[in-house]
Amino acid sequence: MAELKTVGTSVQRKDAIEKVTGSAQFIEDRYMGPMLYAKMKKSTVAHGIIKKIDLKKAQAHPGVKAILTGKDYPNKIGLYLIDRDFLAVEKVRYWGEPVAVVAAVTEKAAAEAVELIEVEYEELPGVFDPRESMKPNAPVIHEDLGNYEIVPIFYPKPGTNIANHFKLRKGDIDKGFAEADLVIEKEYYVPQMQHVPIETHKAAVQWGHDGKLTVWSTAQSPNVVRQLLAKSFDIPMHKIRVISSYIGGGFGCKAGASVEGLVIPLAKMFPGYIVRIIFNREEDMQGTFTRQALFSKLKTGVRKDGRITALQYEMIWDGGAYTEYGVNIVRAAGYSSTGAYDIPNVKTDSYCVYTNNSIGGPVRGFGMCEMQWGIERQIEEIAKQLDMDPLEVRMINGMKKGSTTAAGQVVQDVDYHKCLKTVADQIGWGKKEGKYRGKGIAGLVKCPAQPSNAASSAIIRINEDGTAHVMIGATEMGQGMLTAISQIASEALNIPVDKIDIKVPDTDFTPYEWQSVGSRITYTCGTSVKRAAEDALGQIYLIASDLLETPQEDLTFDGKKVYSTKDPGIKATIREIADSCKKCTGEGIAGPIIGRGSFVPTNMTNLDPETGQGNPGLFYCFGATGVEVEVDPETGVIKILQLAAAIDAGQAVNPQLCISQLHGGTIMGLSTALYEEVKFDKGIMLNRNFTDYKISSIDNTPHIDSFIIETPETNGPYGARGIGEQPMIAVAPAVANAVCDALGIEFNTFPLTPERVWKAIKDSK
Amino acid sequence: MSEKIAINFTVNGDNESRDVEVGQTLMKFIRDDLHLTGTKSGCEIGECGACTVILDGKPVNSCLVLAVELDGKELVTIEGLTKNGELDRIQKAFIDHAAFQCGYCTPGMIMSARALLERTPEPTDEDINEALSGNLCRCGAYQEIREAVKSASKK
Amino acid sequence: MISYSYLKCKDLAQAYDLLDKEEQVYPLAGGTDLLVGMRGGKFTAKLVVDIKELAELKILEENDQGIVIGAAVTLNEIATFKPILDHALVLAEGAHSVGSYPIRNRATLAGNICNASPAADTAAPLFTLNAIVKITGSKGKRTVPINEFFIGPGKNALHKGELVESVLIPRPYPKGAGTYMKASRTGSVDLATVGVAIQRWDDQVQVAVGAVAATPVRAISVEKAINENGEKDFAKAASLARNDISPITDLRGSREYRYHMAEVLIRRGIEKVMEV
Repeated sequence: MAELKTVGTSVQRKDAIEKVTGSAQFIEDRYMGPMLYAKMKKSTVAHGIIKKIDLKKAQAHPGVKAILTGKDYPNKIGLYLIDRDFLAVEKVRYWGEPVAVVAAVTEKAAAEAVELIEVEYEELPGVFDPRESMKPNAPVIHEDLGNYEIVPIFYPKPGTNIANHFKLRKGDIDKGFAEADLVIEKEYYVPQMQHVPIETHKAAVQWGHDGKLTVWSTAQSPNVVRQLLAKSFDIPMHKIRVISSYIGGGFGCKAGASVEGLVIPLAKMFPGYIVRIIFNREEDMQGTFTRQALFSKLKTGVRKDGRITALQYEMIWDGGAYTEYGVNIVRAAGYSSTGAYDIPNVKTDSYCVYTNNSIGGPVRGFGMCEMQWGIERQIEEIAKQLDMDPLEVRMINGMKKGSTTAAGQVVQDVDYHKCLKTVADQIGWGKKEGKYRGKGIAGLVKCPAQPSNAASSAIIRINEDGTAHVMIGATEMGQGMLTAISQIASEALNIPVDKIDIKVPDTDFTPYEWQSVGSRITYTCGTSVKRAAEDALGQIYLIASDLLETPQEDLTFDGKKVYSTKDPGIKATIREIADSCKKCTGEGIAGPIIGRGSFVPTNMTNLDPETGQGNPGLFYCFGATGVEVEVDPETGVIKILQLAAAIDAGQAVNPQLCISQLHGGTIMGLSTALYEEVKFDKGIMLNRNFTDYKISSIDNTPHIDSFIIETPETNGPYGARGIGEQPMIAVAPAVANAVCDALGIEFNTFPLTPERVWKAIKDSK
Repeated sequence: MSEKIAINFTVNGDNESRDVEVGQTLMKFIRDDLHLTGTKSGCEIGECGACTVILDGKPVNSCLVLAVELDGKELVTIEGLTKNGELDRIQKAFIDHAAFQCGYCTPGMIMSARALLERTPEPTDEDINEALSGNLCRCGAYQEIREAVKSASKK
Repeated sequence: MISYSYLKCKDLAQAYDLLDKEEQVYPLAGGTDLLVGMRGGKFTAKLVVDIKELAELKILEENDQGIVIGAAVTLNEIATFKPILDHALVLAEGAHSVGSYPIRNRATLAGNICNASPAADTAAPLFTLNAIVKITGSKGKRTVPINEFFIGPGKNALHKGELVESVLIPRPYPKGAGTYMKASRTGSVDLATVGVAIQRWDDQVQVAVGAVAATPVRAISVEKAINENGEKDFAKAASLARNDISPITDLRGSREYRYHMAEVLIRRGIEKVMEV
């Protein structure tokens, strides 16, 4: 590969100046015109029939313009399984589910009117544990599951609460266990967590007098929002425009469609008005996606030499009241169910189960944090029982080039062992530092969880002066996409990155991108942009060849001019070429240069419905986390002494931003490892603000030693792959492994709060 | 309608007079009335720090101050740090160290950091941790933020 | 937005007059609890009287009686006031552990105790310093020892028409070290799961604990064991705290963990002040 100029350098973030000056526009910062404000009336029961909604008092309240209930919304919505009501229809399925929405001239009037709405419920028995919910006699939450539209790669069981049963059968599980010298079986539990981006969910919607719908949203994925709204409200796509501003953190909760549809029928009643809804912190925590809790049983068979011969994984996921998105997390965890290890015989059953808890959905890691927690904990148990070094067990079984995943997909471009070794070396693996101190390592792998044909596209416009605009549909939520993508464009075009403009998406003007999720944008959007750049570059050469009357193969472009490699005196500036180029005779050669590029995976397949075998991964990203802890045995407080993280980025497009992602994911992982757990009481979310739900802050965040490993991704743009979610995955198990090393006590769940650690110590005595 | 009270104050160096509604928080007033939208709303209960501004020289959570309390006071928001198009050194340091990701907590974080450098020109890690522990950054830019604040202190 | 009237008081008399005559009237000092409480529906105010700029409430001084902390003095001012650092470090530590730096620029000691949370970080320190709450109102002035000021969760000893004017850390000051130790979920900005204040008075100790009962409480049994019975085994003495506290289980911790942590922190605190 030719030497890279821009890719691989830490150019300044494209959004830097706007963000440090406070001028970066988020949705709520836009002042858009005549406005109405929407507020939701929310359910006070977790499962119940709506007997009566009395709107009279609320409708009479000054300032109220309209109030809608579930019957005003013609269809449900959903990404993979269309099961979600905008507003509850006939019954409510979780506490806090919206049952009515008010539009008023002020937020205050809307909030007051909400209090005046009277709703009568007939409470139904609720089910809050997915293991109970799977039982034949459990109250059914979605009676119509059999009639819901669903992407045919999911397997619901109508008449039950099972929204998806993913099955995977690789090799011969009985043979695998027969070959084993040791069989270990354990149960694990991972609770719900919340993303809590500091910006909550917000949307503003305008129904134009001409019938055009404009949606401003905190959505991670404006194109999917447009697609789902078009379907749900039966509007042609050219009549919907979705605009994403900068997003104040996503982490998965703003994927798919969320709050936008709630206010569309209101906007339709008041053409020209902008109807805005802003979730407050409590609403955001309780009323948007939570990470699905996971109850799992994991059984592994292993030979005396440490080789794992069989793995049997049963995962029962708490999908919550609606699983429109959650069904795919359950599938992804299923097809990835051996984690970063090459295991020949696998049997996995992964169930997505409805409960009357808050809605489950995507969170950074997309099931991998939860699923690999069990694997990374069980490897410790294997090592302990075989009296082996857990790092060695990881090395023996870790995937390498040519290994197969649980789904039977062959992985390439892997150096998992280097990731493990890097963090091990950093934390001084193998050296015991003292009583109550311990070290732990965990590994990780993740591929983007996306449909096999999830597409991407890009347009590059070359301006008359040779500067360029890159137009894409990906969103900027902090990950640094704008910067990385413009670096890829710069590299391919040979135009300096500061001469490239790039903006957040607007579906009327920017081309299609499936979703900014799954750590896929660098790869998918990056590939599209590279292709668009190559297309533009092709046009530049074509025009130059005509202008200079020189064969294309003799020409080269240095970013400013095209010249002949045979005679450098034969040259044309990029201005001459890009500004509607004409010959000296005045005859035009070509108009403005517009490069186009698109991408759709060609290496992915559907999975066999019975065996789950196939190619679900676009690319695989590996990494590892190493931790040293000291535990206060009296209080249970864990002190992090060392924290090392390594991720294989293939090729770091922008090393500084890669490190940012590595830090961010590691800190989020540490926060979940130590503090975070959403607590419910019969479906009522108890800790729904920052007083009660604590996340990491600067003073309890330790220094992180970060390592970017670069094993080039053959088909990634310049060898790059995405790393946004991955650094989070191995943190909780690495911390638990270290605590286990310090205390000799097993933990099958987290967060490892002081109280939990103290109790475990007490119970072990 | 709610009662309104006339207040006089300075914002980012300019004298202003407004009638404010009793019950409106300073955060809402800054955003909705002064249209200084760099100040962000994140929790409305003083836990996240996204709305941090400098009031009479001290950083405060503007969601926990009433707009009427602004009377006679001096307010500096993130918009007030840039002088004649020139970034403040703390803003430059945040850029150099990529001490932000999504940028939503950044204005509040920078205001807290700016106030710290005013009172402690050469802060230690511990000083920085203490001063910024009320500013949550879910993207996890804490390590870069510490480095940025330290580097700004040296200039 | 919530509707109520607002009045910035010219003097203390106007403040307690309004507190006396009006209904649903709340004084505003730091506002950090009041605004959160009004947003969450805990308080429904018709009138808010702003007392924070009254000169008589902004007094922070040392006089012949002791250290006077006016009701409008902020926690950051308290945590850095030299006489408090010199003579009542336990209070400086307690004040410092409330909220975040910006919160402490607004929040006041008087507000912290008037809110009457059993977990108030300044309360246990004040108990160990025998602080006196100076109350003023339309019917005159009175003083209440800090341990009588807390009545129950959210309930204090103020009558209608009264407000806290100041808190006095009386002379003679304790001879010996003091410390505030706090268990919390994150070790960062957080409410106390258990808060323990220990103050040495010569060869005696005073111990108070927060978040383990309906109000902050003195650990009398612990004090008695050490001060009267000469118990030298501080672990044994600390274990007696069980007799003095009655914690509950909530989002921050279980009853059992609170019992345990009270004991651990009391022992550690005593060891620290006794320089063991």
